[in-house]
Amino acid sequence: MKMSQNSSGKDDQASGSKKPISLPISRVRLIMKSSPDVSSINQDALFLTTKATELFVQHLALSSFNNGSGKETNSLSYSDLANTAQETETFHFLTDILPKKILAQDYLNSLEQMQEEEGADY
Amino acid sequence: MASSSGNDDDLTIPRAAINKMIKETLPNVRVANDARELVVNCCTEFIHLISSEANEICNKSDKKTISPEHVINALESLGFASYITEVKDVLQECKTVALKRRKASSRLENLGIPEEELLRQQQELFAKARQQQAELAQQEWLQMQQAAQQAQMAAASATAAQQAGSSQDEDEEDDI
Repeated sequence: MKMSQNSSGKDDQASGSKKPISLPISRVRLIMKSSPDVSSINQDALFLTTKATELFVQHLALSSFNNGSGKETNSLSYSDLANTAQETETFHFLTDILPKKILAQDYLNSLEQMQEEEGADY
Repeated sequence: MASSSGNDDDLTIPRAAINKMIKETLPNVRVANDARELVVNCCTEFIHLISSEANEICNKSDKKTISPEHVINALESLGFASYITEVKDVLQECKTVALKRRKASSRLENLGIPEEELLRQQQELFAKARQQQAELAQQEWLQMQQAAQQAQMAAASATAAQQAGSSQDEDEEDDI
């Protein structure tokens, strides 16, 4: 007769498609706790963060697509995301995890520039 | 791929969940694999961002546990204020669902029959069932015995009849 008192909306797998939260809350909690200094998180705060993350994914995907180069071809590429992150202030925090690919692009660009400046033949 | 500095960055939202969300947000759009991978990592980054900010806000308050208020303030200060309304709504929904479940479970308990009584009834039913099984088994055993006895008797009289009526001498004595 015991029912979990800590039930979350996401556990309603059987009740049709309209779940309040689709991302796994337990995973979000794990990620939060791996942040330095974070000790305890209220369950409701966890719900909020999980939902915010969902909205973030939608926001990022939509922005990147709408501002991206693949709109006509109905596609979304890595650089669409990277560009949106650079151009949108609220997404600037993402540039920390983007550098590798961007650096390569920048490097190639600057390499081209150098070649032009030095007048080298390739 | 983002390089991981220790165990912290190995935790990510499952790829399948992200793929599903992307599909629902951008139906019919072809999304490159490395783009998907990037979104997965961006999620982790976002969660860290919110947690750190909320944690700071929490530390400044006199509370030890990160509360919904702290998260909402964090969203606001980080430029995600547009998320707040929807996020609050979902919290309300989650609470309602949890409340319904608690009510449902207590409704079950309040059928008028307390748990101890239900347990007692269950034990009674089990005991009854065991008894019936035992009786049934015993009946079957008795029937088998009777059938065996009858078979013995029939065999014995048949042998006797044979010995009496037949010309053949059968020196067998059946000791059963």
